Amino acid sequence: MKDIKKITGTVIIVLLVITIFAGCSPKSKKEITFANAGWDSNMFHNAVAGLIVKEIYGYDWREIPGTTPVTHEGLLKGEIDVHMEIWTDNIPTYMADIKEDKLKELGINFDDNYQGFYVPRYVIEGDESRGIEASAPDLKYVWDLKKYAEVFPDYEDPDMGRVYGAIPGWEVDTIMHNKYLHYGLDENFVYFRPGSDPALSAAITDAYERGEPIVAYYWEPTWLIGKYDFVLLEDEPFDENTYLEGKTTLPTVKVAVGVSNDFAESAPKGLLEFLSKYKTSSALTSEALAHMQDENANYEETAKWFLKTNDNLIDEWLTPDEAQIIRDFLK
Amino acid sequence: MIPYLSLDFPFKIPINTDYIDTVVRNFSIKYDLFFNSIRSFLNSFVNIIHFILNRTPWFVLVLAVFILGWRLGGKISKGILYAFLLFLIGTIGLWGLMNETLSIVIASVIISLVLGFPLGILISSSDKADTIIRPILDTMQTMPVFVYLIPALLFFGLGKPPAVIATTIYAIVPMIRLTNHGIRQIDKEVVEASISFGSTKLQSLIKVQIPQALPTIMTGVNQTIMMAMAMVVTTSMIGATGLGMEVLIAVNRIEIGRGLVSGTAVVIIAIILDRVTQGLAQRSEVNHNAEQ
Repeated sequence: MKDIKKITGTVIIVLLVITIFAGCSPKSKKEITFANAGWDSNMFHNAVAGLIVKEIYGYDWREIPGTTPVTHEGLLKGEIDVHMEIWTDNIPTYMADIKEDKLKELGINFDDNYQGFYVPRYVIEGDESRGIEASAPDLKYVWDLKKYAEVFPDYEDPDMGRVYGAIPGWEVDTIMHNKYLHYGLDENFVYFRPGSDPALSAAITDAYERGEPIVAYYWEPTWLIGKYDFVLLEDEPFDENTYLEGKTTLPTVKVAVGVSNDFAESAPKGLLEFLSKYKTSSALTSEALAHMQDENANYEETAKWFLKTNDNLIDEWLTPDEAQIIRDFLK
Repeated sequence: MIPYLSLDFPFKIPINTDYIDTVVRNFSIKYDLFFNSIRSFLNSFVNIIHFILNRTPWFVLVLAVFILGWRLGGKISKGILYAFLLFLIGTIGLWGLMNETLSIVIASVIISLVLGFPLGILISSSDKADTIIRPILDTMQTMPVFVYLIPALLFFGLGKPPAVIATTIYAIVPMIRLTNHGIRQIDKEVVEASISFGSTKLQSLIKVQIPQALPTIMTGVNQTIMMAMAMVVTTSMIGATGLGMEVLIAVNRIEIGRGLVSGTAVVIIAIILDRVTQGLAQRSEVNHNAEQ
């Protein structure tokens, strides 16, 4: 009996070992790490670029998650190879880092995006289907907010209104705070820093689902702005010299594709070529994210859908031979 | 093929997380009034504490820390050290932020003690309650904070009230556990003796068991305060202002110096609170031994 137990035990162990080793069949060591700074459009662009890089160059790809500063540091250190969405205005040291050659900027992913203070459309126009009356009908410009403090009450300080600012530490947070001071909103509004992106988007979606008024900083392209009907409050026309003081509309942010120095040296020329040609737009990205939200698809599926729908991009980004590979794959 | 197959589960259960989202959202809308009243209660609670702290002149607080450090630590040098450290926070310009942070911490600790102490007694007297509550406590301590932080936002909005709730969820656990532990570890004979001398169960609890368990309970209070301090930075991610927000801004901008300064202030407050409550715990032990 003892022998049988022993034999069974040995057999099980051998089987286990075989299973484990079989699982680790030799893989190509070619792997690209993408930065995942935490928002959905970033992950979407990773999936699109990842798909192309895998099909053409045989690289596996994975994401390193983090926040804006963490992924930026990772890129400088070479732990992250590619960042598909560097929001250059949100990194205080970005221009200096480029100058000192700490990373390579390959191209611009998109630069037609908006950001600023948003309110749900029903706040201005009402929504009959939901039974919401317009609570601030004359709200059009940022400075109009001053008239409507009681529409956006701050429950911590009921005499004041609450305007949700940007994520603390982001460069744009300073600008939005300046804007808040510039238009004298500090008289009857509290500038509330939401702490983190999930907290801010939770506050916005929650207010929207309830049909309550809210005024908050947000940006495009995001699924949130794509999914819900928001209006960007207007401001003075953009002026390069004074926008930092909050006096004008914010410029569109340059969202760059960047790679680490190590990667720029070691990666195939063609791959770098592709990444530097990689260009989409805010509208295209929002469309893809909205598709993903509606279809409940994952990023890979959305990436395939995106490339099929925007076939022209394949020609713009790739050489004819490479484009053929991708087209064959998508079939 | 077989080895590959053995790595995969035979089937998967599709969990509809969207459905959970909708339920939570609808729930928060339906019981809006209820959550709003909790929110305004917590808000005014924190505001009152903040008001008191803000109106207290700095030297009163420094003096109080000096006296407490001296009397509880047993040495005058300890009192001087703690008072100096607290003074330091004021001189580097973080006094106002410290008050904001402290008001959230104090509110959470008070709620933790008020709820945790009776709960601890309850589960010390009933094994059934113990088996039910124990896994809940484990969950509260190990569930990643952000998992319940975001639902807390839906119910209580952003700012101080959800911060107090998140902190309480995390910090109440040691209070319950150690109250339970303290009472359970008392010799059965002691309790039996008190009963046989004619005291009721309640009298035995108040006059014999709780005093006996006091050193352990005080350790629970100490741990609760420490856990509450540990949540300071986390809760700033849902908009709680104070030192935590300062750390968060610094971290988000990779301003190492600024982060270090405000981080140090958090450490100083934690050390002072820890030493003072530990002193209280030891004191209750000394008194207790003297009585015996």
